[in-house]
Amino acid sequence: MPVKLGLMSFAHMHMGSYASAVNQIPEAEMVGIADHDLDRAKKMAETFNSKAFVSYEELLKQDIDAVIVASENIHHRELTIMAAEAGKHVLCEKPIATTIADAQEMIDVCKRNNVQLMTAFPCRFSPAMVRVKELVDAGTIGEILAVKGTNQGRMPGGWFIQKDKSGGGAVIDHTVHVADLMRWMLKSEAAEVYAEISNAMHHEDYDDVGQLTITFDNGVFTSLNTSWSRPKSFPTWGDVTMEITGTNGVISMDMFAQDMHLYSDKTMSTTWLGWGSNIDLLMVQDFVSRVANGQPVSVTGEDGLRALEVALGAYRSFDLGEPVRLPLST
Amino acid sequence: MQKVAIVGAGHMAKVHGAAYAKMANAKPVAVVDIRKEAADELAASIGAQGFTDFDAMLQAVDPDVIDVCTPTPFHKPYVLKAAEAGKHVITEKPMGRSLDECREMIATTDKAGVKFMVAHVLRFFPEFAAAKAQIDAGAVGKPAIVRTTRGGGFPTGSDDWYANVEMSGGLILDLIIHDFDWLRWCFGEADRVYAKGLAHSRLDHIDYALVTIRFKSGVIAHVEGTWANPSGFTVKFEVAGDQGLLDFYNKETAPVTVAQKDGGAKKAGVTIPESPTAQNPYYLELQHFIDCIEGDCAPSITAEDGLRAVEISLAALESLKTGKPVSVGA
Repeated sequence: MPVKLGLMSFAHMHMGSYASAVNQIPEAEMVGIADHDLDRAKKMAETFNSKAFVSYEELLKQDIDAVIVASENIHHRELTIMAAEAGKHVLCEKPIATTIADAQEMIDVCKRNNVQLMTAFPCRFSPAMVRVKELVDAGTIGEILAVKGTNQGRMPGGWFIQKDKSGGGAVIDHTVHVADLMRWMLKSEAAEVYAEISNAMHHEDYDDVGQLTITFDNGVFTSLNTSWSRPKSFPTWGDVTMEITGTNGVISMDMFAQDMHLYSDKTMSTTWLGWGSNIDLLMVQDFVSRVANGQPVSVTGEDGLRALEVALGAYRSFDLGEPVRLPLST
Repeated sequence: MQKVAIVGAGHMAKVHGAAYAKMANAKPVAVVDIRKEAADELAASIGAQGFTDFDAMLQAVDPDVIDVCTPTPFHKPYVLKAAEAGKHVITEKPMGRSLDECREMIATTDKAGVKFMVAHVLRFFPEFAAAKAQIDAGAVGKPAIVRTTRGGGFPTGSDDWYANVEMSGGLILDLIIHDFDWLRWCFGEADRVYAKGLAHSRLDHIDYALVTIRFKSGVIAHVEGTWANPSGFTVKFEVAGDQGLLDFYNKETAPVTVAQKDGGAKKAGVTIPESPTAQNPYYLELQHFIDCIEGDCAPSITAEDGLRAVEISLAALESLKTGKPVSVGA
């Protein structure tokens, strides 16, 4: 029996990738698509050979097991709760929400309705990251002392720079992936965050530069650059990197280093073309197979909340001009 | 023709000695080190005379210039001795172990009316000088976020002095002060510094630090320093501005790489990258100082520059202790 999936909102560009993943997975079946924007739902239904529903409610009335939510951040709560109350498992785009209270409510409602909530952290499924975790767990570089991380990219525009839809700029957009990888790899929770934040890339009312320092419960200190600092002319979208220093050496990871360089006279530009494994596909596959087998999802809503807390703590730190203890008191 | 006496016979003294030996308007005449053999050996290799006593050296060779290449705590006493003897003086970085030491050196050299320069050689490295020129020309627009990396394995020095944080200040004072000076040169005065690092850990021959600096201009800089990376010396910088991105990585720009099956004294299988330039940066730096003496002009790196760089390092070390951001330049 395939796992039947509904897709809720294509506001986030990652949904295109998740949709194509669903269509590639034999154990998954795309039942339909709903969106705030009905035209977009129809267009996407055509692109992905599926069916558009006029409302989220209509979609949730169908015989489906699970949904993927990729709306604007601010709507994650509403759509996740709607799906949970209809008895559907949820794979929700990151950041899980824009406030701790929203994230907690999503977790609680899913629990109450006996459905699973997974946060979409595809970087955990990167074969490079899986290998790094294996090396760290095996003690290859001894005891971990410090980590320097980056998740830098181009400014995405659209609703990402409208705070009432996104909950913030580069910091909320780019903190959570690597904060989650660090928690997962270090098997420890973030205890304190300090941040320098600015809007010096685009000079608008959203943050586009973030440089965080995160200290974990186990004493490991880390830094994380979350900036939208890649110019439009940059040959790729951005990066996810970690430089991990241990008592016996260093592991460097550049998650998307598997590329080739195209120098094109047609476009008069240079492009770094990735050929690495499709991590969105790996993540959706994992979600589908765990739902199918009734196993707990591998990245939980709680994981999403913890990562969100680092981002919100960073904003608070910058406002206060000092480090902020985590977890945040709401 | 300037007669130069070098104080110290360690690694930097050798590099400086070789540079003076090639210079048309300078000549190394003395090497002073309490280790007689080391002094004699270096002196012999550059056609100078070895001494174990500074005052005896002054008497014997009456140099014009003193070049201080000792461990950090000995910079001040020799700078003062040189100035009091009316000699021009250049000292290795960091200028001193404390701001008081730096102030005393400035006062004494001012009073003596001698030329005084702090050897922040990075300003003479072609890639760092070229980057500064690009930044000044507006190549990346208005700079927003700057990231640097510097380091390799733990350095060896006489009496293992680098491992003594009271003497060396660890890599925050000894190594990444290079980057602090370059950042000040490019982006002006720092406002506050937040840092995490291992300077006060009891780990054996490991140091690592992640330092975030906010400049008065609004530029945010992140500096990684490592004495815990066995993969060879690494230097990176990246400057993102509102109109572009400039980046550099030494391992990607070395025009010569040697890989030996049997590396002789080096470990077999090690590959060693080389980046030869027509004039080495140390030569350019020392030639500049000698030319300033001969032409009676002010060195491009002032004593104040030396002090300000130390101030950033000490602020970072203070932040390690307090866990708080530390204001500078107040």
